[in-house]
Formats: sequence, structure tokens, C-alpha cells
Amino acid sequence: MNPHRWFEEHRTAYVTRSLERDEMTTFSEHLAGCAECREAIRTLEQELAWLPMGVAPVTVRPGLQRRIVEHVLGNNQWRWNRMTTLAVAASLLLAILTYGIGRQQLRSLDRERAVLAQQASIRQNRLAALEDTVSVMRGATRILQASFQMENRDGGLLIFADARTHRWNVVVHGLPPAGPDQVYQFWFIEKDGMVRGAVVQPDSAGPTFMMMGMPPGGGEVMGAALTVEPMDRQTTEPQGKMLAHLML
Amino acid sequence: MAGERSLGARLLARDERALTELIEIATPWLLGITQSMLSDRDEAEEVVQEAFGIIWNRIHLLDPAQGGLIPWLLRITRNRAIDRLRARKRRRSHLERLGSLTSPAETVTPAAEPNEAVHPGWHVHETVHAALTGLPDDQREAVRLAYFEGLTHSEIAERLGIPMGTVKTRLRLAFDKLRIALATIKDWVV
Repeated sequence: MNPHRWFEEHRTAYVTRSLERDEMTTFSEHLAGCAECREAIRTLEQELAWLPMGVAPVTVRPGLQRRIVEHVLGNNQWRWNRMTTLAVAASLLLAILTYGIGRQQLRSLDRERAVLAQQASIRQNRLAALEDTVSVMRGATRILQASFQMENRDGGLLIFADARTHRWNVVVHGLPPAGPDQVYQFWFIEKDGMVRGAVVQPDSAGPTFMMMGMPPGGGEVMGAALTVEPMDRQTTEPQGKMLAHLML
Repeated sequence: MAGERSLGARLLARDERALTELIEIATPWLLGITQSMLSDRDEAEEVVQEAFGIIWNRIHLLDPAQGGLIPWLLRITRNRAIDRLRARKRRRSHLERLGSLTSPAETVTPAAEPNEAVHPGWHVHETVHAALTGLPDDQREAVRLAYFEGLTHSEIAERLGIPMGTVKTRLRLAFDKLRIALATIKDWVV
């Protein structure tokens, strides 16, 4: 066989990393001196670039995106705390499991452990969500507040802006239920105009909390507003009553 | 995933907000890949975290001719996951020699509302998914083991109990079909 034929036949395997370790090394060394194979590999990588997206996306655990931002930007404090917590939890679990009990009891404990693990997982997720919310409040570099009156009720809009993770925690209270065919719309005020944020769902039991990232596009956010808008009209500028208007 | 080119340019300009946007857009996809490959949520999250770190620290190496930001991120993530799988295999064989082995699998939670509005890039997923499901069963299984479980040719042959030549033939046929099926999205910029 022509020695180059082997490389031609194994280009896809090289791109997908299916070759054995020594074969990968041989191929890499060959690539350094073979422009034809380099070009073929580049084309193959482009052709198969989106193949990983054959796997469906999954729901992200609360707080993960914040942890990633903090890790990448060099603040590992929260990750360290979490690791410590997990280590303590693991130690406790180990201590319970190694407690001197017989095999039958252990089986029963295993079942209980599964239930507890499930409950712990749910609580951990709640805690992570709470931690995520609090992190923005704690790390807020700006806090803005505005009051409004709606149907003889006093309400307010409170924004905790975290410049470090570029997220806002928005708290709205005192909103009555929206009228028929109406929604409460949160807006970002940018230099070149307004950008729709989230629709605010009033909560009769208490304030509404929302965590939001900055609008895509990278425009400079200068403030925020809360308005009452017609439900099915996706205008680019507010049309309805302005309840609150805040500038950074 | 609209505006990827500008995201790349903004990352190059060290725009931290662009980083948070990228993380928000791409994390569900990257986690889908890593959880599927590693079957361990914590390890999957670590790999995704590492991948974003690499992108942020080496953004100056991004070559648009190589397919853009998201394909680069996908490739880095998959490669890191394969590294983890192979390290795990080495540990496992070591543990097997010691006579003790545990490998808890974890259920992957699919996204609650899988569609384009919730997950930009969903139509790419549908194209790739259709291309994969269009393969004959034996070829699809070979691709799953090679591409999504990171097995080498010899490991696939051992796993399936078939000659290595058959593995190579199945993979060659499968990837030839996939390249044609994915040609429509090859140059897509998210």
C-alpha cells in the first residue's frame, strides 16, 4: 500500500479522535509535513463542526452560569465554598454509611439514602438559586429604586446591578394583576433606544423577583423602565403607560 | 445564537459582557454534550467551565476560516470530555486491578422547552439529529461509540465483538453520509 494511502483513509478517524494513541502521534507528525492532509483535515473539521449538536441541550442548574463567569474571570471564591460544602457533605455521608450496622440495615439505609439524596438535590438546587439571587444583591455595584402608584396601590421597582457578572436582579412589588390583553413590560434603555426585557408576572403573594442578563448586542445600557403594554403588540418602543423610569 | 461574529470580536476586545452572553447561549448545549458523554453532572459542568476558560484565554487564536466561535467551543468541549473519559478508563482499569469498581450513572435532564426561541441553534440540532437517525443502526451505533463516547477503533471492535476492519468500514460509510447531510449547515454562523 502507498504509505500516504493510510493517512488518506484515516483522516476522519484523526478528526474524530478515534485512532489509537500511537496512531494519533504518527498522524500528527505526518501533518506537520503534508499540506494536502492539513487542508483535508481542515475541510473535514468544518464539515463535521456541528456534529456535537446532535445531542439535545439540557437544563442548566441554578447558579452554574454565574460560577462559570466567576471562574473564567478569576474569582473562584464561590467554587471553593461549594467544594468545601460538598467535601463536608461527603464526609458526613461516609460517616453515616460506615456506622456499624448489619447488611440488612444497610440495604434499608440505602433506600433512605436515595430518598434523602433526592431531597438534598432538590434543596441544593433551591439553595443554588437563592445563592445566585443573593450573589447579585451582595455584589451589586449599583442599586436603583423607583416608586409608582397603580390602582391606588403603592408599588416599587428595585434593581440590583452587578457589573461583575453583568446581570441584574430586579424586584417589583405592589403590582395588581394586569388588565385583560395587557402585560407589564420591563425595558432596558440603551443609547440608541429601548430594548425589550422580560414580561413581569405580578405575584399576589409578594414581590416578583427576576434575574436577567444584559440584552444581546453589547449596546451600552443606561437605564430601565417598566410600562403597561398591549399583550400582542411587539413594538420596539413603549406604547403604554410608563410606571417607572430609572437611569444609571 | 445571533451575532456570533460580533461576539467573537467582542471577546477579542475582552468584553466581559460578551462572555456572559456566550455562556448563557452555549451552556445548555455544551452541558448536553458533556453530560451525555460523561454521565456525571458535576464532571460535565467542570468540563464546560474549562472550555469557557480556554475560549476566554485563547480567543486570539480563533480562526474564522476554521468555522467560527461556536464550532471551536464545541470542539474544545468534546475534546476535553474525551480526555476525561480516557483518564477515567485508565483509573478504572487501575481500580479493576485492585478489585474495586463503582461507576454511578446519572440521568440527563433534557431541556424543558426544546425550541428555537428557548435554545438558539435548535434547527442545527434538528438537522444533525435527522442526519444521525437517518444512518443504518449499525453505523449509527459505531458513530455513537466513536464520536459521543470517545472510543478508539479497537475499543469499538472489542465492545461490539466485530473485526476492526468492519468498524472502520462502518465509520467511513457513516461519516461520508454525515458530511453530505451536514453540508447545508457547514457554513452556518449562529
